[in-house]
Amino acid sequence: MNTVNLTINGKLVQAEKGSTIMEVALANGIKIPHLCYEKGLSIAGSCRLCMVKIKGRPGMEAACTTEVVEKMKVITSDEEIDEARKLIVELILSEHKHDCLVCESNGQCELQDLAYELGIEKIRFPVSKSIEPTEDSSQVILKDPNKCILCGRCVRACAEITVQRVLDFAARGSGTFLISGLDQPLVDTDCVSCGACIQTCPTGALTEKLARFQGRSWEFRKVQTICPYCGVGCQIELNIKNDKIVKVYGVEEGPDNKGHLCVKGRFGFDYVHHKDRLTTPLIKHNGKFEEASWDGALNLVATKFKELKDKYGSDALAGLSSAKCTNEENYLFQKFIRICFGTNNVDHCARLCHASTVAGLSRAFGSGAMTNSIWEFEKADVILVTGSNTTETHPVIGNYFKHLAAYNGTKLIVVDPRAIELTEYAEIWLRQKSGTDVAWINGLMNVIINEGLYNKEFVENRTENFDEFRKVVSKYTPGKVEKITGIPEEKLIAAARMYGKADRGSIVFAMGITQHTTGTDNVLSLANLAMLCGNVGREGTGVNPLRGQNNVQGACDLGALPDVYPGYQKVSKAQVRENFETTWGVKLPPKEGLTVVEIIDAASKGEIKGLYIMGENPMLSDPNLNHVREGLENLDFLVVQDIFLTETAELADVVLPGVSFAEKEGTFTNTCRRIQLLHKAIPPIGKSREDWKIIMEISKRMGYPMAYHSPGEIMDEIASLTPIYGGVHFDRLGGQGLQWPCPSREHPGTPYLHKDKFTRGKGLFTPVDYIPPAELPDEEYPFLLSTGRVLYHFHTGSLSRRSKPLDGIAPEGFLEISPQDAKKLRIKNNDWVRVSSRRGKLKVKVKITHHVDKGVVFMTFHFAESAANLLTSDALDPVAKIPEYKVSAVKIERI
Amino acid sequence: MKLRNKEKDVIALLNKAQRENKHNYITEDKLKLTAQEAGLSYSEVYGVATFYSLFSLKPRGEYVIQVCDSGPCHLMGSKSIFKVLEKELKIKVGETTADGRFTLEEVSCLGICNEAPAMMINEKVCGNLTPQKIREILRELRKKK
Amino acid sequence: MIKELKSPLRVVLENYGRINPESIEEYIAQDGYEAVGKVLREMRPEQVLSEIKASGLQGRGGAAFPTGLKWEFTAKAKDAPKYIICNADEGEPGTFKDRAILEGDPHKIIEGMIIAGYAVGAHYGYIYIRGEYLLSINRFNKALKQAREHRFLGEDVFGSGFNFQIEIHQGAGSYVCGEETALMESLEGKRGNPRFKPPFPPSSGLWGKPTLINNVETLANIAPIILKGSDWFRTFGTKKCPGTKVYAISGHVKEAGLIEAPMGITLREIIIDYAQGMRDSKFKMAQVGGTAGAILGEDMLDVPLDYASLGEKGLVLGSGAILVMDETTCALDMLECFLNFFKRESCGKCIPCRVGTEKLLELATAISRGEGKEDDIDLMLHTAKVMQKTSLCALGQSLILPISTTLKYSREEVTEHIKGRCPTGVCKI
Repeated sequence: MNTVNLTINGKLVQAEKGSTIMEVALANGIKIPHLCYEKGLSIAGSCRLCMVKIKGRPGMEAACTTEVVEKMKVITSDEEIDEARKLIVELILSEHKHDCLVCESNGQCELQDLAYELGIEKIRFPVSKSIEPTEDSSQVILKDPNKCILCGRCVRACAEITVQRVLDFAARGSGTFLISGLDQPLVDTDCVSCGACIQTCPTGALTEKLARFQGRSWEFRKVQTICPYCGVGCQIELNIKNDKIVKVYGVEEGPDNKGHLCVKGRFGFDYVHHKDRLTTPLIKHNGKFEEASWDGALNLVATKFKELKDKYGSDALAGLSSAKCTNEENYLFQKFIRICFGTNNVDHCARLCHASTVAGLSRAFGSGAMTNSIWEFEKADVILVTGSNTTETHPVIGNYFKHLAAYNGTKLIVVDPRAIELTEYAEIWLRQKSGTDVAWINGLMNVIINEGLYNKEFVENRTENFDEFRKVVSKYTPGKVEKITGIPEEKLIAAARMYGKADRGSIVFAMGITQHTTGTDNVLSLANLAMLCGNVGREGTGVNPLRGQNNVQGACDLGALPDVYPGYQKVSKAQVRENFETTWGVKLPPKEGLTVVEIIDAASKGEIKGLYIMGENPMLSDPNLNHVREGLENLDFLVVQDIFLTETAELADVVLPGVSFAEKEGTFTNTCRRIQLLHKAIPPIGKSREDWKIIMEISKRMGYPMAYHSPGEIMDEIASLTPIYGGVHFDRLGGQGLQWPCPSREHPGTPYLHKDKFTRGKGLFTPVDYIPPAELPDEEYPFLLSTGRVLYHFHTGSLSRRSKPLDGIAPEGFLEISPQDAKKLRIKNNDWVRVSSRRGKLKVKVKITHHVDKGVVFMTFHFAESAANLLTSDALDPVAKIPEYKVSAVKIERI
Repeated sequence: MKLRNKEKDVIALLNKAQRENKHNYITEDKLKLTAQEAGLSYSEVYGVATFYSLFSLKPRGEYVIQVCDSGPCHLMGSKSIFKVLEKELKIKVGETTADGRFTLEEVSCLGICNEAPAMMINEKVCGNLTPQKIREILRELRKKK
Repeated sequence: MIKELKSPLRVVLENYGRINPESIEEYIAQDGYEAVGKVLREMRPEQVLSEIKASGLQGRGGAAFPTGLKWEFTAKAKDAPKYIICNADEGEPGTFKDRAILEGDPHKIIEGMIIAGYAVGAHYGYIYIRGEYLLSINRFNKALKQAREHRFLGEDVFGSGFNFQIEIHQGAGSYVCGEETALMESLEGKRGNPRFKPPFPPSSGLWGKPTLINNVETLANIAPIILKGSDWFRTFGTKKCPGTKVYAISGHVKEAGLIEAPMGITLREIIIDYAQGMRDSKFKMAQVGGTAGAILGEDMLDVPLDYASLGEKGLVLGSGAILVMDETTCALDMLECFLNFFKRESCGKCIPCRVGTEKLLELATAISRGEGKEDDIDLMLHTAKVMQKTSLCALGQSLILPISTTLKYSREEVTEHIKGRCPTGVCKI
C-alpha cells in the first residue's frame, strides 16, 4: 500500500495515497465542518464548508475534493477559515425560515450543530420569508422544502445507492429546488420508498412521515440488530421510545448492507406493535378460541402430543420449524422433535424455496450454500442473474447490481421470462420460456466448449466426470436451444461469450431456478457452468443462491430438515447419530423423516396425527392450498406458535404466542453464511414468550428437561456438535459476525468457499438433460401461471400486511397479463377476473403489463384474499421435493 | 435500457421538441419521451430542461421577445426598452399576452453588444433599439398571421 | 456582420469580412488548410507541440493559461480516447469576438481543431456553440460539411492516416457553461454545473477522458502560427503576452465594435484612436474583461491591456470586452445590473455562490432604493471576499472584482444613495 505522511493542525498522520483530506481527517478523529460530504456517496464539493488551508498553496481548498500528498501541511481552522464558514452558514440560514421548534431532526441536525458550533447568533442578511408547503404524498417520506439546503446528498443517494434517480435539482442559481420526477408528488414517481434519502439528509428536509411527533433523537434508546425480512441480513438500528420502535436506520458498518435498507427494512416494523399481536395462549373449544393460561396451554400441548405418540407411534407426529426464528430456536426445535416426538419428521419452508439448491450444490460442490459473499459482487466482471427478481426480493442486493452496472462497469446478463427491472440494466437479457432452464444453460455451455472459452486447467485439475457431461451438452446446439427456450441463437451465443470470456463471472439465482420439478437439475446445470469456466473458489465468482428468509440459511444449517442434523450431518449415518445420542443423552430415530409437502400429504391420509408448527403459514405458502387445508383439518391435534393468528393458526387446537425479532436474542445466518447477533430491543408484548423458552417448556413437560439460560448457551452446544459452526460463540459475533465454515475459535470465518479444493474434494460435473415442466398450458387451461413476490410484501404477508405503510402502498394482489392477451380476453386494467386451475380458483384484479410475455400470467402469493397457491401445482422435484410453483396451467375468465 | 448511453443528446432533443411546438415550450409528453430516448430519469430530464434559460416548460407566445439586460444593454437603455414593450403589449416580464401572440422575457447577453440595446424575437436578433424601432417591429409582427 | 473598427493588425481576423465565410474555396485561396497539410505531412506531433509552446500563445478565453502547456498535458495523458473541445459558449456580456470569428471565418477554427487533435492524439472534436448564436451554428455546420467533402475531416486526412471528426453541440442558454467543466457536463447531457478541479480536463475531462478545451480565438491563432512560425507570432504584442487580441468595445463611445490589436494597446488608444472618442459626455469609467471584470477609472487609461500588465495590478483582461461608461452613468446602478446577471447565471451548485449572488443583489437593491445601511457596503465586500475564497468556480470567485473596484472609484457615490440621493439621478429613490 502506498502511504503518505502529512500533518493536520500540526498532528502527524499517515494516509493511503489517493485519499482526500476529509477522509484522512475523519479517520483520525479530526472534525472538519461539512454538509454535502457523506461517506459512501460520490463527492459534490458543493457546500464549501470544509475549506482548509494548505501551507504553500494560495487561498483555501475544499477538504473533500483535495487529495493528500506527501509532507502536506493542513490547517483546518483559523480566524479566516472560521469567518468564511460562519458567513456560509449565515447564507444558508438566510434562505429560509429555519424553525427548530417542532423539527423532527432537532438534536440530530447537522445544520443546527454547525450554527451552534460557529456561534451564529444573528443573520446579517435579509432572510427570505416565503414558506413552501410540505409534500406528504408518500406513505413514508415527508418532504419539507423549507428545510432543504440543497446539499444534494439525497439526490446522490437516490441515484447511486438505490439507482432510482427519482430526485434531482430543478432550475438554477438561487431558484434551485429539489424535485422528484417531473416535479411531481413522490407517490406519482418511481420512488421505491427505500428511505436512503431520509437517512442521508443532514437536516429535517426529508423525514419519516409516520415517526412525526413520535420522539426526538435524544429520547430514543438505540438497539442494533438484524432485519427480520429477507436473507440479505441488513444490520439495523432501532430507535425506541417507551418500548416502541419509532425509527429504523441502516447501520453503516453492516458488512452486507453498508447502511442501506429497503422499504420493508426501514419502514415495515409497525407490525411488532400491531393490535393483532397474540398476547396470550389460546385453546380452541367447540371451534372457538378462548384465552388460556400458559400452564394450561403447555400442559394440554404436552399431554396431547404424548397421547398421540403413545397411540400412533412417533412417526404420526411432525414439526414445522421456522426460517423466521433464530438459529438457537431452530436448533432447539429440531432437537425437541427428534427427542420428544422421537421422529425426524421435521422440516421448514426452505423445502419450498431452496431445497433444490441444497441438493444440487451439495452434490456438485459438497456445500449447499452461497459460495461467495455479497460484497464480492463488485469484483465480478460479469454477473449472470437468473430466476431472481433481485430488486424486489432482495432489494439491497438488487440495487447493488444496478449500482455496479451503472457505475462500476460490471456487465449484467439477466435470464428471466419476465421483464424484471434488472433487465433494464442488463447488457444482455435472455427471455426463456418458463421451465426451460436446463436447455439454455446447456446451450451456453455448448457454445463455451465449442469456442474453446472454457477453463481447461480448472476442469482438468479440480473437477471430475467432464467427459460424460460433455457428451450431453454437445447435443444442445444454439439452434436446438432456440426451439426449446425461445431464446434467439445469436443472443445465446453473445451471452455465452460474455460469461465465458469474463475473468470473474458470478452466477446469482433464486426461486425462478429452484421452484421447478427440475429444480435440482437446474441448480446442477448452473454448477456445471461455473465449474466449466473456473468460476469457483475465487473472489467475485461462484454460484450464489439468494436465500429468501432472514434465517432460512440458519434453519437449514441447524438441522430443521428431515434428513440431516445440524451442520448437514446425515441422520442415516450411524456414527453421526451416535455422536448426537451421546451429547443429548437419548436414543435417536435412524429413519429419515418427511418433508413439508409430504407431511401435509400424510396428514390428509391420516398418517400424521399431530403437528407442531412454529412460525410458518402453510395455509398461504404451500402449493395447492385446498389440499393443505384438507390435511391440516384432518389432524387430531395442531399446535401453532406464532405472533399473529395466521391463516394456519386459525385451524389450530392450541395457539402459543411467540415473540418478534425485536423481543429476543439469538443469531440469524444470512444468505452469504454470515452469522449475526440479534439484540433484544423491547420486552415481549403482553404475555407472549420467547420461542426458545416455549420449546423448553413443552420439552420439559414431555419428559426431556432443557436448562439453557440464554441463547448464547444454546450456541455453545451448537458449536460443539456442528463442525461448520465449531468456532461460533456469541462473544465473537460483534460487528461483522462470522461466515461459516468456522470450525474453531481461532478461525476467522470463510468469505468464499472451495478456495483450493471443493468441500467434496473434486467438483462433480453432472450430465443433465432437459425435461419439460410437469404441467403445461393446454386447451382447457391455456395460460402458464408463474408466482413470485413484490417489493412491498414478504412471504405470506403475516408481517408486511400488518405494516401500515407497506400495506398502504400495496394493498392488494394482482394478476399480471400481457397487453395482447388482455386484448384477446377483452379485459382492462383493474378489471376483476376469475383464475382457475385443476386445483382451485380465485378472483383477482388485472394489471396489464409488458413484464409478462403473451401466454404467461404472473401472481404474487402474499395475499390471502387472492391466494395464488390455491392454483399452484404440488408436483415435486423428485430429489429435493420442492414444488413447481413457477409453472402451472390456468384459465382466465372475465367476471 | 436504463444505462445512460444517449444522454449527450438530451439538449438537442429538448431543443427539437420546443422548436416543433407552436407555443414555444416543451410539453410533459415530450419530456417523458426525451427521458426515454436519452436514457435519463424524469427528474434528470426535468433538471436539465429547467436549468437552461432557452427552454420553457410553460406555453409561450407565438413570438418570444427576449430583451437583454446585461451590462452593455443596461447601460444603453434596456430599461426603457422593457418599459415600451410592457406598455405596448400590456404585460410584464415573464408574461404572455392574452391572445397568445407575445411573451416578454429578460435574458443575458445576446452577443451584439456593439448594437446595444438588443433583443431577440424567436431566433432573430435586433439591435440599436429605440422605442420607435420597437413599435415598428411590433406593428410588423402584428400584421403577420 | 459585426462592425470591425480599423484594426491595426490582423491575425485572427485576417479573413474577416474579406472572404465569403460560406465558401471553402475562398478560404482555401487564402492559404486555408495549408497549416493542416503542413502539420500532417511534415511535422510530428511533438514538433507541433513545441511550435505552439514556443509561440507563447495564451488562452484567449480569459484565463490566459499557456496553450502549448495545456496541449502538452493532454498529449501526455495516458488514457484514451482523447477529445478536443472548442469552447464557443461566448456568454460574457460585452464580448462578441468569437461570434465574429465563427460567422466570418469558421474554417479557421476547424483547422485549429484538426491540428490540436493531431498534436495531442485525439480523433474527435466537439464545438460547443451557445444556443443564442444561430448564425454561427449554421455557418459552422456548412463549413463542417464542406470540410468533410474536401476530406479535411474524416478518415485519412491528407493521406496521412490521421482521422478526425467534429460535431457541433448547441447550448441552451447558460453563462456558466462557458466554464470549461460546466461545459463538459452540459455536453454530456447534464445540468451545467461546474466540477471541482483538480482533476483538470487534460487528465480527466469529457466523460472522464483526457480533453483539450480551447477558446475560439485561441484556436484561430493556431493555423497562422503553424504557417508563419512562432518567431513571427512573437513579433507582436508584449514579451510576456505575445500576439494580438481581439477587443470588443461597447458603451458610450462613438463607434462600438471589434478591433484586433497587438497585446498591450491601452484603453486611451482604443477609445480615442479606434472608437472615435466618447459619444456625448466625459469618460467616467470602463469595465474591462466582461461583467466579471474590473472597473477602471481615468487613472488606468494608459495601462497596457494585456494579461500580465493587468494581472500585476490585480485586474483581468478576461475575454477582452471593454464597456465604456460616461459621466451620466450611476456606478451603483451598473453594479446592481452586474449582480443581477450573476444571480441569474449562477448554477446554484455551491452554497456561497447560490445564496451569495442573491443576497448581494438584495443588498445592492436596498441601497439603490435608499433603504441601505452603511454596514451593508462592508457586508457586501466581506461576502464577495468569502465567495472569492470559497466558491467552486470562477463565477462566484470573480465577482469581488466588479464590487471592489466599483467601491474603489465610487464608494462616495454609493454612500450618497444611503443618504437618500442618487448623484446621477439614475436610481429612483
